[in-house]
Amino acid sequence: MKTVILATAIRILIPLFIIFSVYTLFRGHNHPGGGFIGGLIGSIAFVFHTMTHGPQQTVNTFLKLNLYGYPRQPNQSRSLYLMRMMRVNVWRRRRMARHPEVKQRMLRIEPVYIIATGLFLATTSGVLGLLSGQPYMHAYWSDFYIPVLGKPGTPILFDLGVYLLVIGVVLKITFVMSEE
Amino acid sequence: MFLAILAGFLLAFAAPLLHRWLGKWVVVPMALLPFTIFVYLLTLSPAVLAGNNLGELQAWAPSLNINLHFFLDGLSLLFALLITGFGTLIMLYAGGYLKGHPLLGRFYLYLTLFMTAMLGLVLAGNIMAIFVFWELTSISSYLLIGFNQDKESSRSSALQALLVTGLGGLALMGGLILVGMAGETYTLSELLERGDLVTNHALYLPALVLLLLGAFTKSAQFPFHFWLPNAMAAPTPVSAYLHSATMVKAGVYLLARLTPVMGGTDEWQYTLMIVGGITTVLGALLATQHVDLKAILAYTTISALGLLVTMTGIGTAPAMEAMVVFLLAHALYKGTLFLVAGNVDHATGTRDLTQLTGLSGTMRYTSIAALLAGMSMAGILPFFGFIGKELLYEASLEESPFRWILFAMSFFSGMVFVAVAIALGYGIFWRRSQNPTPLQHPDKPLLYLPPVILASAGLVFGLLPGFFVTPLLRRASEAMLGVEQTFDLALWHGFTLALGLSVLTVLLGYVVYRFSNRLLSYASRFSGLYLFGPANLYQLALRGFMTGATKITATIQNGYLRSYIAAIITAHIALVVLSLWENGPRLELGNNLHLLSQLRMYEIVLLLMIVSALIFLFKSQSRLTSIAIMGIVGYSASLFYILFGAPDVAATQLLIETLTVVIFVLILHKLPVFKYLSHATERYKYVTLSLTFGAVMTYVILIVKQYPLDSQLKAYFGQGSFLLGKGRNIVNVILVDFRAFDTLGEIVVLAVAAIGIMAMLKLRMHKGDKP
Repeated sequence: MKTVILATAIRILIPLFIIFSVYTLFRGHNHPGGGFIGGLIGSIAFVFHTMTHGPQQTVNTFLKLNLYGYPRQPNQSRSLYLMRMMRVNVWRRRRMARHPEVKQRMLRIEPVYIIATGLFLATTSGVLGLLSGQPYMHAYWSDFYIPVLGKPGTPILFDLGVYLLVIGVVLKITFVMSEE
Repeated sequence: MFLAILAGFLLAFAAPLLHRWLGKWVVVPMALLPFTIFVYLLTLSPAVLAGNNLGELQAWAPSLNINLHFFLDGLSLLFALLITGFGTLIMLYAGGYLKGHPLLGRFYLYLTLFMTAMLGLVLAGNIMAIFVFWELTSISSYLLIGFNQDKESSRSSALQALLVTGLGGLALMGGLILVGMAGETYTLSELLERGDLVTNHALYLPALVLLLLGAFTKSAQFPFHFWLPNAMAAPTPVSAYLHSATMVKAGVYLLARLTPVMGGTDEWQYTLMIVGGITTVLGALLATQHVDLKAILAYTTISALGLLVTMTGIGTAPAMEAMVVFLLAHALYKGTLFLVAGNVDHATGTRDLTQLTGLSGTMRYTSIAALLAGMSMAGILPFFGFIGKELLYEASLEESPFRWILFAMSFFSGMVFVAVAIALGYGIFWRRSQNPTPLQHPDKPLLYLPPVILASAGLVFGLLPGFFVTPLLRRASEAMLGVEQTFDLALWHGFTLALGLSVLTVLLGYVVYRFSNRLLSYASRFSGLYLFGPANLYQLALRGFMTGATKITATIQNGYLRSYIAAIITAHIALVVLSLWENGPRLELGNNLHLLSQLRMYEIVLLLMIVSALIFLFKSQSRLTSIAIMGIVGYSASLFYILFGAPDVAATQLLIETLTVVIFVLILHKLPVFKYLSHATERYKYVTLSLTFGAVMTYVILIVKQYPLDSQLKAYFGQGSFLLGKGRNIVNVILVDFRAFDTLGEIVVLAVAAIGIMAMLKLRMHKGDKP
């Protein structure tokens, strides 16, 4: 579906959506919100993008990272090589994309990886309690307070897992459905 | 004992890896394991022979009172020694038989798995553990029979064996549970002392039927005997090990093991005697109708198993003595003959009795082994088989109303055994022949040593019966009878009736052998009879089962989402209505009418919106309109949540509605044209269903409202969420802290659903395919 207005608007709105979804995630502990709602808000941004630009474009824009590089010269030191690679990938991306000798490697983030990460975070957030002799999922809170985000603690980690998982699930379903 | 089993399992699964590393030398560790266990069991044997029962308790889940319990007495020691001793030889033999086979590692995996399972079965001290190991032997037997998986016959035979023994295993589980309930314990050593309790229990008869079903299927008793000859599709080491020496004797072991618990009643005795007797005669009869070496051996094995079951059924001291002696003798000579048949097959490429002649010149050692085993099978004097046969005759000639039937049965089978023994031990090897069957390769040591060792064991045990065998067998029969046994085995009993009968058996057997060609010519005349045999019934049942399953699946799983949902909702309505009908509280609307006056303006507006949307939905002709209307309904519902002060739920509902609509629109143009394919009546059916469902749910909620909600939860969570959970949003604190484990379960379900959707959509159906 190609509508220019929506297509343009959504590109500007996506950062807003994501920032708002993260905010919703963190405010969830004291006000309406939380991982599930935040995840849904975040995923709606991508769903709209897929709707207007097609799944391939969404993947290319958000879930793919081009890494540039060339093989290490025999007499080049490792640390120098690493720093060069970092520079190539961070500051000189535009120029490197057109460079003939530089090879590129693509790093594609599958939605399933996001699901797995979320599940992993949610599951391991409870292990901390287990390690210190408390029951699984025992909550630990820190004593300090971060503005906007609130108090860090293991339930926040758990909520973050839920957030990632929900985004992954919706993305996966959307991609599979629109690729057909 | 526990370590032995554990080592077996570990080595079994290491076998393919070892095969990759060691190549053909994989045979060394694989044979070393059973040998080590064999030696270990020998070190335990003095204690057992002194009359002690060794137990070993391995805590597994002590809080649930489930323990791995091992138990070693005379009977298990006899079987365990048989399994490991024979296992060592089979492992060596398999190394030679399947030399260079690319899947040798996998073969060793299955074989070691089987050996361990069988060892576990005879050592288990808990009847549930017996069942577990029993099923493991069935599964490994399935894998071994189907080892040549590129052959259709091999696969179907394997499946047949699995289905028959698996069905028996299921019955066995029921039987064992009933026995456990009757005896009020699952521990074998306690159960063995509660025989009276079990036999007088009301559950005795069903337990007996189920147990016997399990034992009979495993031990290939009539009418389940048909799977055993088909199982000969397995490589010969497997046939020798599983289907003559060990696995098929598991049923006999179970019967023997449970004799003190279940035995002694009329039902037990008669069933075992009748079934065993029929099997004995039938097996012997069918053995004369075949020319394939392995088929002949399979049918004589069935016959021998029948004899063992019959002897267990008779249950007197001489019968038990005969049973254990014959069991050992049979394992020794039948195993040898199987290995010999495998050698012949391997070297000449055929197993047809009529084509094999004069092999003694070219396969010297194999033919010696065959001769020794044949003489033991025929019951010639210095061999162990002779003692077994004598005792069988003595036991069947005991004073009992059926002595002549029993005797005739064992005499007939003895006769056939002699004929088969002559044919296999003498006919194909030593009979003079002008043109002996050509060999494809000469006899190999790894192939002829195991049968020679086994066959000479038969000779040594016969010559020196008092050395180790007698005390062991005494303890074994003691385990069945519960009374200490003092019999002595001797080769020479003097000129008794049994001796005369033995001589007569051998003579008549020779006559049968001379006329075996004529007997074979009758084989074709019986073929009409096989149509009514159990093998055909099995095929019929299997086919019926398949078509039935297809039909049921086509009816229930028709692939239409609407019928699934309709089924779920109908079941829900039925359950709710049923429980309300039985003893549900009655609704008193009159008292609640005043609540209507508290209705707010917003609520009425939302209600009207939903109702009008639904009516519009029913009339809509386009999919996009329907989706939009569904969205309206959803949004209105979420507004209701806001009205009743649940912003979290409302937000979630709003977002989900949005997503649903958006995703629907996303795939809208890929869906087929929106049409009412169903009849109007069909549609009214679903409308009625929805209305009923709504009415039932409303009724339930009204009833719930009738009672004041007396719950501490609200107060608890209100207090606790801030004090304990450090958060002011109760819903979220419950989700991520108090009930985090539930949430974890939910998100796991979500992840699984995503993977499921992916699989479902990626799996492209061909046109006309049923899901």
